[in-house]
Amino acid sequence: MRTRRSGLMRPVAAIAAVAALVTAASCSTKGDDEDTPPAENSTGVVRTGAGIEGDVITLGVLTDFTGVNAASGKDVTEGQRIYWDQLNKGEKICGRFTVELDIKDHGYNVQTAVTQYAESSGDVLGFVQVLGSPMATALIPELEKDGLIGIPVAWAKNLAASPGYAVPGPTYDVETINGLDYLLSEGLIKEGDKIGHIFHDSEYGNNALEGSKFFAAQHGLTIAEQRIGAAEPDMTSRVTALAAEGVKAIVLTTQPSQTAGVAAAANGAGLDVPLLGNAPTFFPTLLDTPARDNLIKNFYLVGPNVGVGLPPAADLLKAYKDKFPNVEPSNSVVTGYSSSKIMELILQKACEDGDLTPEGVLAAKAAISPAETDGLTGTLDFSKTGISPSRESFLARPKPGVPGSTEGVEGNYEGPTVAAYVRS
Amino acid sequence: MTTFLSFLLNGLSLGSLYALIALGFVIIYKASEILNFAHGAFLLLGAYVIARVEPSVGFAAAVAIGIAVTALVALASEQILFSRVRSAHVASLTIMTLGLDVLITTDLTRRIGSSVMSLGQPWGADVVRLGGVNISENRLTAIGVAFVLIGLLFAAFRFTSWGVALRAAAEDPEAAALMGIRQARVGAVAWLIAGGLAAVAAVFLTGSPTPGLEPNLRTIAFAAFPAAILGGLDSTTGALAGGLIVGVAESLFAGYSSDLTFLGGGFSVVVPYVVMMLVLVVRPAGLFGTKELHRV
Repeated sequence: MRTRRSGLMRPVAAIAAVAALVTAASCSTKGDDEDTPPAENSTGVVRTGAGIEGDVITLGVLTDFTGVNAASGKDVTEGQRIYWDQLNKGEKICGRFTVELDIKDHGYNVQTAVTQYAESSGDVLGFVQVLGSPMATALIPELEKDGLIGIPVAWAKNLAASPGYAVPGPTYDVETINGLDYLLSEGLIKEGDKIGHIFHDSEYGNNALEGSKFFAAQHGLTIAEQRIGAAEPDMTSRVTALAAEGVKAIVLTTQPSQTAGVAAAANGAGLDVPLLGNAPTFFPTLLDTPARDNLIKNFYLVGPNVGVGLPPAADLLKAYKDKFPNVEPSNSVVTGYSSSKIMELILQKACEDGDLTPEGVLAAKAAISPAETDGLTGTLDFSKTGISPSRESFLARPKPGVPGSTEGVEGNYEGPTVAAYVRS
Repeated sequence: MTTFLSFLLNGLSLGSLYALIALGFVIIYKASEILNFAHGAFLLLGAYVIARVEPSVGFAAAVAIGIAVTALVALASEQILFSRVRSAHVASLTIMTLGLDVLITTDLTRRIGSSVMSLGQPWGADVVRLGGVNISENRLTAIGVAFVLIGLLFAAFRFTSWGVALRAAAEDPEAAALMGIRQARVGAVAWLIAGGLAAVAAVFLTGSPTPGLEPNLRTIAFAAFPAAILGGLDSTTGALAGGLIVGVAESLFAGYSSDLTFLGGGFSVVVPYVVMMLVLVVRPAGLFGTKELHRV
């Protein structure tokens, strides 16, 4: 009996010791937070706080290098690196602060993103990139609690409703309305038609569906819905079902590989109709797949920023080509570049107002409206939370052999229908 | 009716590929009682090798190289990892396959990166019209190849000494050993064949209307796992039936999803698992699996 007791006591004592250490450690962390006020000080006339050490501002990047959106995550981040490198060599923030990026790869995993946010949030002035609707949505309460600013690489309406986020363009509903307006104006669809909409059952897809439904109500169209999973690989049955319904066009709110799947399946089903995709649906490598011919023939991309081959992005394209002479960029580099431009506008405004603390930066977000990004995006309005920050979209068609593998067909496009759109 | 036939044909073509993959699971299980969770990784490896070598050697040679490399990697895994610890508990060996899966997949995901790789299938996006129903040439070829291979395997089980040895080893390993059957050899050949089958399935799973090779391919292969289980893990006929049932169910649920909105979006992805659970509730050993009998 004695032996057994002492045998038990040893692990119990060890556990108790570990528990005591953990408790002590967590107490000491808590004590630091409470006892030492944030390093808020006065630098000239500009107040600074968390996220600024000396003359260096640190901005967080929560991106995807290894998950389902790795292709776009890498290019968005490269666009951001190029932007801040240029700024650091030139005018800087406030004429003196350089910007460093604290980059973390969440692998398109919400839980990883939440953990990484907790690691970074105390050391950054804000997040210049939070890639993915699910991750950005999960971090809404955290950002609001910490009073930090974030720029999502996602355009769902729930993000525009958060005071912490500056969504870098029109939300998906507005984008979809503009895309359909373009198809209507080009005679590719007509009033009374039935159109299919294949969309993810998520903030991303459901927000785009609001747009297509509104457009349908305004123009007497019918929507045939195909609600799909984010990782659903085979689009054949979905497209066959839409072909049976006699749709005259298909709206896609999907992943890029699913876009190629739809294009190939449509070809197989003999469904020769326009395909309209939201910003995240296209990537240049899709033109190396069997879907290439149908994509070139029928695909239309509607997005929040200009293509990488167009004049507003000329500096970016040159810098990218200097850095990677043998790599073709996608339009995602412009998303990274333009979202950095928006962050710069906010930081410069905060500097003008003499307050580069996180609170000052958040206040500057609303104050920059209406904001212009040198043609990279449409005019942006962050003065009211809940509205789409922009109503201007960019339309492009796939074209092999040109930067971004797309050719712009309409810039700063605001169709007639979107004016009547008031979001519920 | 045409729409239903389209769904059915698409389901059968997908199902025949699931059957090929499920057969790989079953052969390894029969030979060694190991559930090989690394099978999806073998599939990814086969597709990756073919995609990499195809531009320089052409499609046919690339497929041959891809099948050979995948089969040899499967064999090497068996020789290096599993045959050395044959006395270990089957559960431990199964967990080892999970580790192998993570290793291979992580490395290949890194190599594939953000691209969608093409395997250079010569039939591309061509479409064939069969009695009013369109099907991609890739999927039609898949049905043909899958059924020929499955037929050959069934013949091998029945008529070759390896097939008889495999069935004997699966039936009663101890008695088979006493009868002079070299189980190590039976196991090695089983892994070799399973690896080869995975590479063949990869050729068609990455063809039209699927855009090409991307890391997600491994998760597609996982749909074959419930196919093997619902068919009965030790039954080759079960693998065929399970594969076809899963493929058709997936296709029909995706096609008629607009009438089944109460199930939510993307239900077709979980259908294989739902069907598996329903079958197992009624027949715990699967449709064609051997019931375990214990003398009391």
